[in-house]
Amino acid sequence: MSWLLPSAFSIAGGAALAAIVLHLIARSRPVAESLPTARFVPQRPIRARARSIALSDVPLLLLRIAAVLALGAGVAAPVFAAAHGRVRRIVIVDRSRDVADPREARDSARAAIRDGDVVLAFDSVATRLSGPAALDSGVTGPAAGSLSAAIAMALRSAAQIASQTDSIELVIVSPVSTEEIDPATTAIRDQWPGRIRVVRLREAASYEQAPRVESADGSADVVVAGLSLMGVMQPHGDVRVVRGRPSAGDTAWASDSGHVLVHWPASAADAAWEPRPTIDAIGGVASASGTLIGRFPRVWTLTGSAVARWADGDAAAVEHRVGRGCIRDVGIVVDPASDLTLRAPFRRFAERLLEPCGGVARTRRADSSATESFVAGKRFTRLATASSLREPSGESSPWTPWLLGLGAALLLVEVAARRMDRRLT
Amino acid sequence: MTGPTYGALLDAVRGVHWQARRAVSSPMAGTHHSTLRGTSAEFSEYRLYRQGDDPRRIDWRLLGRSDRAYIRLATDRAILPTMLVLDASASMAFPVATRAKWRRAQEIAIGLAAVVHADGDPVGVAVRGDRGLERVVPPRTRRGVVSEIARVIDATNPGGDDPIAPRVGALRSARLAVLTDLLGDADELLRAARVRVAAGGEVHLIHIVAREELDPPRRPLLAADPEQPALQRLLVDSTRGAYENAFGEWRAEMARRWRAAGAVYIEVVTDEPASRAVRRIAEAPGMAGGRV
Repeated sequence: MSWLLPSAFSIAGGAALAAIVLHLIARSRPVAESLPTARFVPQRPIRARARSIALSDVPLLLLRIAAVLALGAGVAAPVFAAAHGRVRRIVIVDRSRDVADPREARDSARAAIRDGDVVLAFDSVATRLSGPAALDSGVTGPAAGSLSAAIAMALRSAAQIASQTDSIELVIVSPVSTEEIDPATTAIRDQWPGRIRVVRLREAASYEQAPRVESADGSADVVVAGLSLMGVMQPHGDVRVVRGRPSAGDTAWASDSGHVLVHWPASAADAAWEPRPTIDAIGGVASASGTLIGRFPRVWTLTGSAVARWADGDAAAVEHRVGRGCIRDVGIVVDPASDLTLRAPFRRFAERLLEPCGGVARTRRADSSATESFVAGKRFTRLATASSLREPSGESSPWTPWLLGLGAALLLVEVAARRMDRRLT
Repeated sequence: MTGPTYGALLDAVRGVHWQARRAVSSPMAGTHHSTLRGTSAEFSEYRLYRQGDDPRRIDWRLLGRSDRAYIRLATDRAILPTMLVLDASASMAFPVATRAKWRRAQEIAIGLAAVVHADGDPVGVAVRGDRGLERVVPPRTRRGVVSEIARVIDATNPGGDDPIAPRVGALRSARLAVLTDLLGDADELLRAARVRVAAGGEVHLIHIVAREELDPPRRPLLAADPEQPALQRLLVDSTRGAYENAFGEWRAEMARRWRAAGAVYIEVVTDEPASRAVRRIAEAPGMAGGRV
């Protein structure tokens, strides 16, 4: 048996001890009771009290101790589990675009899974699967993988099973590519207090070729002019930039595989997006590839997967899946008289807007030193102990309600006993 | 009335008579000796005619034989209207759990009413409950008066601290039986009783004392007077002796003063059966120096 919150039981024990001491040393202060002939009692200061040498009201004391201990045990939440020596695994399976072959991921995961293990799947987000059977329906998605999200989910899952086991082994079935490791991954990994076993998969082919951009608007357009300076403009390409309202043909074109339609309205009249409650101006916008400083009016409220954000965090450009392609809505109105788009920062900023749907897949395998550092963390050599992964606030004991109920019932009995005692006298 | 509550008590007091302590001056025929000597069939004695006697009462045959004028005297019997006065103050509702004092006062009152009614005397009751509601049954001889008295007493809930001396002073019955613990307006009550006795009435003071008052719990106790909540005294081992002495002296003083005033004083402790107490009250000696 173990306690989820041992300190509560210690406090209850202390309270019980205090009750015993109080009963031992208490000078029993008489309770005012009716006595019609009270006038014949000699007048003495009411503060005078009778000393009680022995334990007073032993049944009451026992009731109080039992009630306090029951309440304390209820809050401390006992866990009766034969956890000694037991090891459970949390197996995280990569389902991102970084995996070359989903079947390899499934088979590798199955080889690592034992009965009672927890199975998680992740790409940009991590989810808990009902069991190994859920891997059968799994295919890799277009989203990039995030080991940070995967380990964060593993930490939460570990807290839930920590009371039922002794140690927890974390198994990650993933190619561990460079795009799956972000700046937060190291810090999050260090939250896992043990070594991690990595089953490495083959990574998908990296796709980092330059975009081919087409546009019906002439080079007189300020944005098209800026893009032209990037050397990506072609008569026919995978990325189509539309500065007016997109036609039905544009939308149909966007749904083809690998096509990206960038709807970048030249003015507020060129888009029917939800207008902002109040139009304001902001001094900067950033994408994953660069930052653009200038004075931009904010006309719309965009919803979707953000690819660029204003300085205050609101989405400035969003992406929507359409068939096998996607449409990017760019809510950045550029002053046609400005030379902003002709400068280098614009070209860096626009790179992300011209990437394939979901962004460029930088699925290069992480080098061995990065992987080693990831596996060892703070030089952990042992498995994580369950006690170090416990999250008392997230766990519960099935005994808690019963013990709290018992404590409350005992308190009621104690009150009734006191009243009865007073009545009898 | 003769329900399960009082049935045994009424059976136990059957045959008990509560005689007047002195001759009664009531003009109505009853069972008590009357101060009047008239023309009833129960011959008592002859007395020489004196100036002012009614000539119609002269025994003319005796005059013819003895040549002297005699008046024929007969002993009259009279009724004795009896009023029961119950103290229903908060101190009578003690102990809180059993209210034994009030319960014993109820039973004694019912028992005395039954005895008085069986003697053919009018009996009534006066009691004031915790809401200040005074309930009075005037002295009556009709059937069912005991039941009526029982209903009135049963409907009364002891509480408050209303004095009973004004009530005693206002009643005009020849015999008063006051059931009280004397913890209220004892002095005023004694004064009213003196007036009643001086006016030729009988006053019986039945002093109800709880066993728990004589022998309070042995544990430390902060004793609070139910009629004066501000009065709280600490009753512990060191003060118990003084308490018992003071209470005993006070009871003895009460008995002495009431008897000196010409009243009959009877102390009843709550653990005494009501039927025995009723017999003791009915058979108590006369006003001068009766037993306690």
